[in-house]
Amino acid sequence: MSFLVRSRRGALVVFGLAAVTPLVVRDAYFLDSLVLILLWGALSAAWNVAGGYAGQVSIGHASFFGIGAYAAALMVTRFGRGPWLGMLVGVVLSIGAGFIIGFLSNRLKGPYFALSTIAFSQVLLIGVSRWRGFTAGGEGIPVPFRPGFATLGLGHVGWVYMALAAALLCYRVEVYLERSRIGYQLAGVREDEDAAEALGIPARRLKVFAVTLSAALTSVCGSLWAQYVGFVDPTYVFSVDLSVRFALNAIIGGMGTALGPYLGSILITLLETYLRATFSGVKTGFAGIYLIIYGTALILVVRFVPEGLAGIAARLRARRAHA
Amino acid sequence: MDPARLLGPAQIDVLAQLAVATILLGGIYALIAVGLTLIFGIMRVVNFAHGEFLMLGMYLAFWTFALYSVDPYVVVFVSIPVFFVVGLLSYVLVMRGVIHASHNVQIFTTVGLSVVLQNVALVAWSGDFRFVRPWHLSTVLRAGSTTFNLTQVVAFLIAVALTISLVAFMKWTHAGRVMRATAQDRDAATLMGIDTDRVYRLTFAIGIAAVGAAGVLVAPLYSVYPTAGLQFVLLSYVVVVLGGLGDMLGAMLGSLIVAAVEVAGSYLFGTAWKEIFYFILFILVLVFRPAGLFGQRGAETLGV
Amino acid sequence: MPRATVTIIVATLAVVLGGEPAAVRGQSPAGEYKIGVLEPLTGPLAFEGKRHLEGLEIVRDLINERGGVMGKKLAFAVADATDPTAAASEANRLIAREGVKIITGTFSSRLCGAASEVAARHNVIYWESSCVDPRFNKRGLKHVYRTEIDASGFGWYNVEFIAKHLAPRLNLKPNQLKIAFLSEDSSYGQGVTESARQRAKQEFGMQELMLEYYNWTTLNDMTPTILKMKQLNPDVVHHIGFGNDAVLFWRQSREQNFLFKALVHAGATGYGGGDFGKALGNDANGVFALLEPGPGFRLEALRPEGQQIERAFREAVQKRTGSYPFGAHQLAGSGLWLLKLVLDRAQTDDPEKFRAAVMSLDLPIGSTINGWGVKFSELGQNANERVQHYMLQWQNGQLVTVWPEEFTTLRAKWIPLGSWDQRK
Repeated sequence: MSFLVRSRRGALVVFGLAAVTPLVVRDAYFLDSLVLILLWGALSAAWNVAGGYAGQVSIGHASFFGIGAYAAALMVTRFGRGPWLGMLVGVVLSIGAGFIIGFLSNRLKGPYFALSTIAFSQVLLIGVSRWRGFTAGGEGIPVPFRPGFATLGLGHVGWVYMALAAALLCYRVEVYLERSRIGYQLAGVREDEDAAEALGIPARRLKVFAVTLSAALTSVCGSLWAQYVGFVDPTYVFSVDLSVRFALNAIIGGMGTALGPYLGSILITLLETYLRATFSGVKTGFAGIYLIIYGTALILVVRFVPEGLAGIAARLRARRAHA
Repeated sequence: MDPARLLGPAQIDVLAQLAVATILLGGIYALIAVGLTLIFGIMRVVNFAHGEFLMLGMYLAFWTFALYSVDPYVVVFVSIPVFFVVGLLSYVLVMRGVIHASHNVQIFTTVGLSVVLQNVALVAWSGDFRFVRPWHLSTVLRAGSTTFNLTQVVAFLIAVALTISLVAFMKWTHAGRVMRATAQDRDAATLMGIDTDRVYRLTFAIGIAAVGAAGVLVAPLYSVYPTAGLQFVLLSYVVVVLGGLGDMLGAMLGSLIVAAVEVAGSYLFGTAWKEIFYFILFILVLVFRPAGLFGQRGAETLGV
Repeated sequence: MPRATVTIIVATLAVVLGGEPAAVRGQSPAGEYKIGVLEPLTGPLAFEGKRHLEGLEIVRDLINERGGVMGKKLAFAVADATDPTAAASEANRLIAREGVKIITGTFSSRLCGAASEVAARHNVIYWESSCVDPRFNKRGLKHVYRTEIDASGFGWYNVEFIAKHLAPRLNLKPNQLKIAFLSEDSSYGQGVTESARQRAKQEFGMQELMLEYYNWTTLNDMTPTILKMKQLNPDVVHHIGFGNDAVLFWRQSREQNFLFKALVHAGATGYGGGDFGKALGNDANGVFALLEPGPGFRLEALRPEGQQIERAFREAVQKRTGSYPFGAHQLAGSGLWLLKLVLDRAQTDDPEKFRAAVMSLDLPIGSTINGWGVKFSELGQNANERVQHYMLQWQNGQLVTVWPEEFTTLRAKWIPLGSWDQRK
């Protein structure tokens, strides 16, 4: 399978670079950007499992992210246990939520499904904001930093490797979906659900499977994020902006490809941090300029390179094949 | 909160006022949703930037009021052609390229547009809250012990007028019929010689004109600021789905239902829960009657 | 292999782009001392963030006119904190790339939590001027300080005003007062409301008729709530609003002819923001808002050094914005001024020596901007009693100082509020 070899090569470069960087670079900001790139990349890869591989485009993945973040934060602050346990709880809850979304995906198509996922994430947002007794409501939860692996209190270098681990996990899952029998069946469902069903593929079950898997992975990353940034706030962790961001990286990098989300994340995260660093302090009046550039870039990329960066690679490959 | 169980005179007053609040709020939502249902219904595009066009309409009302002291009710007539042009431009510059692309591409194009518009407003006009305060803002009409805020009443009446005229347009004009045909089956329409690009252009322009006018009308009722559209955009989608895609009367009814759920929910359980109610309603409708409460069964799969 | 090629290109771009703002600028040329300023300049909190930055810039100029800090000119490295991730990331940037040793900001609780964590990990001082989350100082972080009292202090002062000033003028004993609580549901609203509720009930035995929270960004209509409140008939409405929710409530209460004796708010947003007055003009008359001092403030009540700097501050704000200082200006500005006082004493940004200087500051009320004093607790929190807060009231389009009475020439009017048309 030559395409796998190719995909491995690209992945080797990306993840290899990420692994090597902390050994040479000590600058905290650079490492912080790297952590964010890997984390957003992992989140987009998780989204890709449902969106790219199963064809279920959701704009509500922040639901699972938020569940993971809150599970970790609450486990630490309210129950005095470690974030790893919280992550586990988050995964279990997200799988439950994933079942619901999976059910919806079997009843709804296209924009309707997308809208229902948004509604779901908003219901969670509001519910968590109101449940002041348990979740501290709109006040959010500050997550304490306690050094150590069990408490996920890592230094910058430690976090790079932690984020890398998460990224590799999601990548591995994507590759599994590309290679395995389930993955092929899923591709069939994605391309033409009726035909796939006619062939005896259990389309509905597979879709639910993909969505729940995606949910679980997103939740894991959410828990990690909570420990990294240190503050969980319902209006942020369940926001539509975040959901869009997960999908965005995958689309720009190439939906349905394993490395695409990471390429997309590199581009978008860097663009954002670069623009924000360069423009935000200039003058109060120019505070929004970087977002304008970001939005325009989004429109242009989505319009002119809809298959994403990985698509460019495919085009180049095709051209070479003809040459 | 335990509202009165007995229906004494005080409670009837409360009910009457709640009913009025529902109708007037429903009118505002309808105004905003009518443009959306048109675009969504005919072009099958989820326009995330819908709220931002509303915001631009609000700013138009603000600046004309602040600089030239023109009343919003006068500006609204100007806003319709202005936003018609804005809609045309947006279509030609942004939407046309992605009209045949996948849903995801469309979604993200409009998301990008939304971000751009929000921040253009922020950079140009700063994040300060602005207000439009025409002389009639605090005017209330009273019928017995029930009050009607004049500005809201006018918004309601204009929403009704707008919806009716759009319905008439869709039903009885040639252009309207052409638009409906394209909505039903894009490919068949092309085969029949319809220039779908022109249809979409017109649809988008009309839809944006409607929401821009809505912005002008609601500006006196709420604050004007760059992210003002966010308040309304998700809610508009709930309305549109409830009423059925492309069905403008459905949008009006959907607006009333959403407003009723909000008002009743706020009164009985507290304002904190109001959005949960209509989101849950939204999900239920999507699951059991995705064509909307008033749409034909199966209509939602057409063209999707 | 093309995909690998693309990846290599992207990765190179990454290194290059990541490297550009990477030029470690470090401390500026000799003669300048740079601190980091982290405020929300985009997103829904932008309008307040911008005011904070303005206040900071004004006081920075005042400081530089008076010799700067530690013999150098004070300069800012400004960063935009749109959301918690951005706040943490930008804090990292300020520390790693701009080389600042002190960061100030940040207005919103969701931002200050994340950013201060980052600062703490790098042993950088975090000088918070206005976020009010009560948990901010209770995380065991040694170099995190807050110059403003937290939300619980606001609630404390509000109830103080209601019990000691309003109740007597209404001819009611505090435990006879019927009070309804309404609030937006962010950390700010919840913090103030909960502490007010607690004090009202436990210390004064006030009767709580209602408690309701809402999300101010999605609120369209307050009629249902108002109808409910009408039936409950409270004496005092304790409403913490954030933006147009305040305007909406007030306007719709008037429409529904909902009568009550007083409305009390706290903070520089909602009822305490200039926009409220702009929106309603004289219709805003009567509302109370706990804030920094406004017109009517008796400068003579301050100590001499306080008078001097307060006067200079007001003139500078007037010159730059054409109006009286807003709460945001005052909070940010006074925070920065206190920072200067600490640096004058410490003459270094070494965290331990800085902390010693902070703890050694002990100035009575009336010593600095806003008539504040200074006394930090072990947790890095400026004391409630020193951070004097004032009750202002909207009178004829302006927020004027009415309480404590010894600090102002003006007096509170319209107690009880009476009918809507009678508040002239």
